[in-house]
Amino acid sequence: MRNILRKEMRLSASVLSYLFILFGLMFFVPGYPVLCGAFFVALGLFQSFQTAREANDIVFSALLPVAKSDIVKGKYLFVCLIESCAFLLMALAAVLRMTVFSQSAVYRGNALMNANFFALGMACVIFGLFNSIFVGGFFKTAYKFARPFVTFIIVCFLVIFIAEALHHVPGLDKLNAFGTDDLAMQLILLAAGIFIFLLLTVLSCRRACEQFERIDL
Amino acid sequence: MIIAEVQDLVKKYPSFELKSISFHLESGRITGFIGRNGAGKTTTIKSMLNMIHPDSGTIRYFGRPIAGNEADIKKRIGYSTGTVSWYPRKKIRDIVNIVKRFYDTWDEAAYRKYLDLFGIDEMKTPLELSEGMKVKVNLMLALAHRSDVLILDEPTSGLDPFSRNELLEVFNELRNHGVTVFFSTHIISDIEKCADDIVYISKGRIVAATPKADFIREYSEPGESLEDTMLRLEGGAVHA
Repeated sequence: MRNILRKEMRLSASVLSYLFILFGLMFFVPGYPVLCGAFFVALGLFQSFQTAREANDIVFSALLPVAKSDIVKGKYLFVCLIESCAFLLMALAAVLRMTVFSQSAVYRGNALMNANFFALGMACVIFGLFNSIFVGGFFKTAYKFARPFVTFIIVCFLVIFIAEALHHVPGLDKLNAFGTDDLAMQLILLAAGIFIFLLLTVLSCRRACEQFERIDL
Repeated sequence: MIIAEVQDLVKKYPSFELKSISFHLESGRITGFIGRNGAGKTTTIKSMLNMIHPDSGTIRYFGRPIAGNEADIKKRIGYSTGTVSWYPRKKIRDIVNIVKRFYDTWDEAAYRKYLDLFGIDEMKTPLELSEGMKVKVNLMLALAHRSDVLILDEPTSGLDPFSRNELLEVFNELRNHGVTVFFSTHIISDIEKCADDIVYISKGRIVAATPKADFIREYSEPGESLEDTMLRLEGGAVHA
């Protein structure tokens, strides 16, 4: 798997996938829907799929001495790697906002979602949805990606809209906790987000392996 | 010794069908896979490489089915399907640096030898190469990891006569070292020059899978070249 991951990183990937990791730092931006950062990271990954398709990457991979399922796993590994890097930046920003900048007026007066552990959990959900809807959808044909990406965009912004709206619902204001307020609940929500990410990714990877096995290249 | 075996391979498309394809490859022999365009050569070869999922039938290498043993088997096979059609803007050197890590048997000396023999500049990108040179790059990758079997889809197409001769010489040299070569072509003179065996496919069906001498004895008329024989066969005289 290390070789196939190296192939993904050095041959298949678009440089934009690496650059767009920096959108994880959008968790620092006040007065902006921070989860859009996760969407832009996904957009960067989409660029790699586009570049790879133009470069006939799937056929090249099929000619390498690997099982067909390893080609799928290699793509998932690469995607998860980029998402993990972005998540680390988001986590860094969130922790700084929860500690050093917890009393900052510009963040306290922010009407939009606060960058806390709940937001991090929701970013994981968005990454999981990308893996499931887009990457899984791509491997139905190993060629067509417009429909899976448009579907992902719609679902992603629906999730962002819901996440942004939730803390305005009476009784759910704790979702927008500042600093280390309601830390236990925040951590549970983050764990739930990570669990959803893992579930969506593993299930879609398994299904993608089965589908790709049946595809004629 | 049988090194590769295709048995009752069936693949149906709306307008084309591979009909129970069966043949085998003997160790240390060159087999030419002939048939006109659209006869089913590429579909058969892609099935042999597990790139196409057959409706039924089995493909075995070294006595093991490729299904379930794909990675191990592919390490022992060198294959090329036409020209280099991937990563047009990456340097050949960068592509090779990735590919060679997949093979424990990668032979850097052989790689350098074929680089030199084929006159390939590894600092160029596929976009900067002619079609003939792209074919050579693909062949070089197939040859540089000391494979036991070479499976090549139309390796001589797009090559000039000198390069074709060079390649056929390479095939002969590999055979002398015990390597099995299976290559498809519609250039019959290539078969005449170097093949030991012939697998002849027409309209998705294997017409003959036999040593070249037996094929000529059975199908050729006195004084007729193999090319004329194929033209006559494809003209319908035998199939009618």
